[in-house]
Amino acid sequence: MSVLHVVFKVDGAEYVLPASNVLQMESFNGATPVPGAPAHVAGLVQVRGRVIPVVDARRRFGLPPVERSLDTRVVVGQLGSRVVGLLVDSAREVLKVDPGLFKPPPPLVTEGAQGFVKAVAQVGPRLVMLIDFPRVIGEETPDGDAGH
Amino acid sequence: MTASVDLADFLPAYLAEVEELLDSAHRHLLAVEASARRGAAHPKAVRELFRALHTIKGLSAMVDVEPIVSISHWMETSLRQADQAGGRLPEASVEPLMEGLRAVEQRMRQLASGKPAAAVPSGLLERLEALESSTTAPGTSRPVAAVLDETLALGSKLTPTEREQLTASAGGRRPVRVDFIPGAERAAKGVTINSVRERLAALGDLVKVVPLSGPVPGGGSLTFVLLLSTEAADAVLLDAAGGEPALVRPLAGEQAPAPVPAVSTPARLDGDLDEEPEETRRGSGTLRVEVSRLDEALERLAALVVNRSRLQRAVADLTAAGAPTRELRAILQENARQLRDMRAAILRLRMVRVGDVLERLPLLVRGLRRATGKAVRLELDVGDAELDKAVADRLMPALVHLVRNAVDHALESPEERRAAGKAPEGLVRLACHAQANGFVELLVRDDGRGVDGAAVAKRAGAPTPRTEDDVLELLCRPGFSTRESVTATSGRGMGMDIVRRIVVDQLGGELRMETRPGVGTTFRLRVPLTITLLDAIVFECAGGRYAVAVSCVEELFEVDASRVVRPPGGRGVALVERRGQAVPLVWLERLLGQGTAVAADAVPARALLVRQRGELVAFGVGRLLGQQEIVLRPLEDPLVRVPGVSGATDLGDGQPTLVLDLPTLGASRRSGGGGREERAT
Repeated sequence: MSVLHVVFKVDGAEYVLPASNVLQMESFNGATPVPGAPAHVAGLVQVRGRVIPVVDARRRFGLPPVERSLDTRVVVGQLGSRVVGLLVDSAREVLKVDPGLFKPPPPLVTEGAQGFVKAVAQVGPRLVMLIDFPRVIGEETPDGDAGH
Repeated sequence: MTASVDLADFLPAYLAEVEELLDSAHRHLLAVEASARRGAAHPKAVRELFRALHTIKGLSAMVDVEPIVSISHWMETSLRQADQAGGRLPEASVEPLMEGLRAVEQRMRQLASGKPAAAVPSGLLERLEALESSTTAPGTSRPVAAVLDETLALGSKLTPTEREQLTASAGGRRPVRVDFIPGAERAAKGVTINSVRERLAALGDLVKVVPLSGPVPGGGSLTFVLLLSTEAADAVLLDAAGGEPALVRPLAGEQAPAPVPAVSTPARLDGDLDEEPEETRRGSGTLRVEVSRLDEALERLAALVVNRSRLQRAVADLTAAGAPTRELRAILQENARQLRDMRAAILRLRMVRVGDVLERLPLLVRGLRRATGKAVRLELDVGDAELDKAVADRLMPALVHLVRNAVDHALESPEERRAAGKAPEGLVRLACHAQANGFVELLVRDDGRGVDGAAVAKRAGAPTPRTEDDVLELLCRPGFSTRESVTATSGRGMGMDIVRRIVVDQLGGELRMETRPGVGTTFRLRVPLTITLLDAIVFECAGGRYAVAVSCVEELFEVDASRVVRPPGGRGVALVERRGQAVPLVWLERLLGQGTAVAADAVPARALLVRQRGELVAFGVGRLLGQQEIVLRPLEDPLVRVPGVSGATDLGDGQPTLVLDLPTLGASRRSGGGGREERAT
């Protein structure tokens, strides 16, 4: 049994998120910054009448900022009752992945990615990383990085 | 069978209704207790309590929640005895009944969170049963009561469809109950339950036959209760059931005098079998609506309001371009009025009575009385004041904290009070007054020992405060507690902190305190009637657009650069003269932390004058864009719940615009330097 995953790119690398956690993908026209919010929060966007916070994946992963392009997407994810967007370089594909293919990430990846990568899978020629969504958006604490 | 599916469908309505009934039960039990303590009877409250429990039992049986059925059944039984004793309930009976209500409440919560209701706690039923026998007046015949119990239990044996069948009184039909008591004598004459069933079925719609065991007036031990909807006369029905000792009783409308006098006396308590829901009994056309539906209506209105401002801009552009827009503008004006009316109507829908919200406070005080051993009286003086549901829900925890603090910290023990020449019973009074321009003021007053500012300062390691505001400031420090040890009820040192966060940060209100040593303390909460729809000033600052509620702005003024004074060493804080006093002038841009370096001596063109914890502060802003009505969407996600931002709104461009809470923004940035940015990675 393979499971549908949404694939998105950040800085050339491919990440996946189970499609069941993703509400929709939206193009990005800028976010309203929120003063006092954690640095990895790009701001607020309005998605189908709902105001949601957007986490900048690049800033979260400690990557240099890039010019936003037409490819830039907000992956709108659902986490319990929370709806939070993830700002990524691009997202245009859905991929079936057999859950058995996911292996724990090598220790080097775990350290470098601050625990944001939960597992890696080799799907055909491609290597995709399953991200830990709650961790990336910053779990319960507003700072989200109380753990390190 | 789809029982589980049905249950899931009914559950929300069931929970909502039982919750309401529980509130009513609590209220009346407290009233009964108050009377019991004076040794007086309170027949009305006993009956209301009985009624609430009876309905809870019936509803619970419908959705098949056995533990609640049992608990409410036994509570009801002991209350029937109290009713027969003229509404007199021994004081000692109150606690087990309280315990019963708590047990029901617990099970409700379990159901609400998707868990099955736990079994009845051991010993509870026994304690309730013991109550029954202890309140039973000597001479009251037990069998009669037992028969009546069965009568009431009948209601719970019916499915909703059967209930409907029975009560649908089309074509002159009425619901009737026929009691048939089988016996050898009657069977010999060919009158058996089977023959009776057949004959009655021919006379109307036979909905259900329920066998009841238990002593019956005739001396036997079994009764068949046949429930039917029929147009036949009582005499005909009685004949069909084989005549006496069968009984025929109509179930709706006026209860016919029951043939057996022993039955009719306590029957006043028995609700008719076709219980009307509590609402219709209360009459006056009340409707219970889920809040989500109200929110939906508000969202629709929000869209209209947004659209109107776009339309207005478009018309303004047309006008500027010289187009003939007189009629358009007239329509637009009419439209504005209609929207305002609509807004008012929707706001009224969302209003709840403050009195209803506070329903639980007497129960809280009762618990505190028991836990602290202090004598306390709670006085509620809230009149007909109303609040938006969203405000009321948020406010409630703050009021609970204040009342709890008052009993736990402020009120002295009866001995101390006597020694101080006060009445041994302490008083906590909660009053509520509607104020002009959309605010409500709530007062929580106690006649306790007052707050000792010097002691508070000492504990906080701060210099002795000069004003009550300063004392309050200390009390509201996170983690501050005036108690040496943590008591069961409070003293966790987080109360006032939470109160201020709710009142000031979440609701955009004001919290003040007045205290006199030995005389008492009053907390004054000023909160907006509603936090969802408000008039806002929209302005530009540091390239972004922001809105701020008109209600929190005292004045909007042009800054005269020549009159701005800069005290030396003030780290760029400027002072401006306003209303005869020197008011600090703060660049909002700097507070927002996104200003690209404003020159230290630059002066903003305009400023908003705001009262921040009683003191005036001027916030310098860029361009003013106007005043308009906005729908505030609170920011619920922890990622963006920051002090100083009360929510977001859509001004018509599809982008969220932040709605600032200037008093909090100024205070949080001044005292803690924002705090958040430094910690964030």
